[in-house]
Amino acid sequence: MEDEFLNKKIDDVMQSMDGITRATPRPFLFTRLEARMQNEKNIWSKLSSFAARPVVAFACICFVLIVNAMVILMSGSSRNTITQQGPELATADEYSQVSYNLYDFENTKP
Amino acid sequence: MDLIELLKKKDRAAFKSVVETWQDMVYNTAIGILQNAQDAEDVTQETFMQAFESVASFKGESKFSTWLYRITVSKAMDHIRKKKRKKRFAFIQSLYGKNDQPVIDPPDFFHPGVSMENKENAAVLFKAMEQLPPNQKTAFVLNKVEGLSYLEIGEVMKITDSAVDALLHRAKANLKKILKDYYIAINKN
Repeated sequence: MEDEFLNKKIDDVMQSMDGITRATPRPFLFTRLEARMQNEKNIWSKLSSFAARPVVAFACICFVLIVNAMVILMSGSSRNTITQQGPELATADEYSQVSYNLYDFENTKP
Repeated sequence: MDLIELLKKKDRAAFKSVVETWQDMVYNTAIGILQNAQDAEDVTQETFMQAFESVASFKGESKFSTWLYRITVSKAMDHIRKKKRKKRFAFIQSLYGKNDQPVIDPPDFFHPGVSMENKENAAVLFKAMEQLPPNQKTAFVLNKVEGLSYLEIGEVMKITDSAVDALLHRAKANLKKILKDYYIAINKN
């Protein structure tokens, strides 16, 4: 009996959309749409006019050139440091008397 | 000249005519998927903006309305994903105490096109539809809310009508199961 009632209820719910009519948007959708498109157009045109300024363009080019120069200089100097430190570190490791284990890492206090 | 050809030339009057002809169709599909009037309005606007921007890519292989349905469904799904992401982000922020506002689930959705005597039942059905996988939900909305045939749904979703049939069959079975669990839980309480 209870199952019958439940099935009837589910069927009623499943059929509740029969005869549904279309929902309509608020009036003057096109006006709001045009305003939004204009607004987005303004944002992009403002952004593009800002980026097209000679000062901004020159500053961007300078920034890119400086970053490139820094990367080249830093990679050159770090390569030298590695080659110089390489044999020294190898010798230090070879003659090191300190041995680490898990116990040492956890007990730093004497 | 054809309306779509005029739209391709970015004719304002043609665009206005397109919006006025198809705004109810787009809005009704969006509100069926999103179950929120404000979100549906946003998606409707985005759909027409997208159509205006990319009308040059419309080759006329399908009906213009089918093409608009595709954009609407895709925009609505994107909107759901964005909303979920925002919700997740708000939850994470609330964990760190940055956002004290609770994440509130929207109240029951009442579709304005449902008859008065079916309003309560339809609200329960819409709530259950939220738990369906995206494809099943899309097919169900296009069929029940927009009244499209299997063939038309197939054209919108780019699947065969037998695949639509299977999709709707699964959607209905899932909805019945969700509703059964819902009413059993109500009776227990």
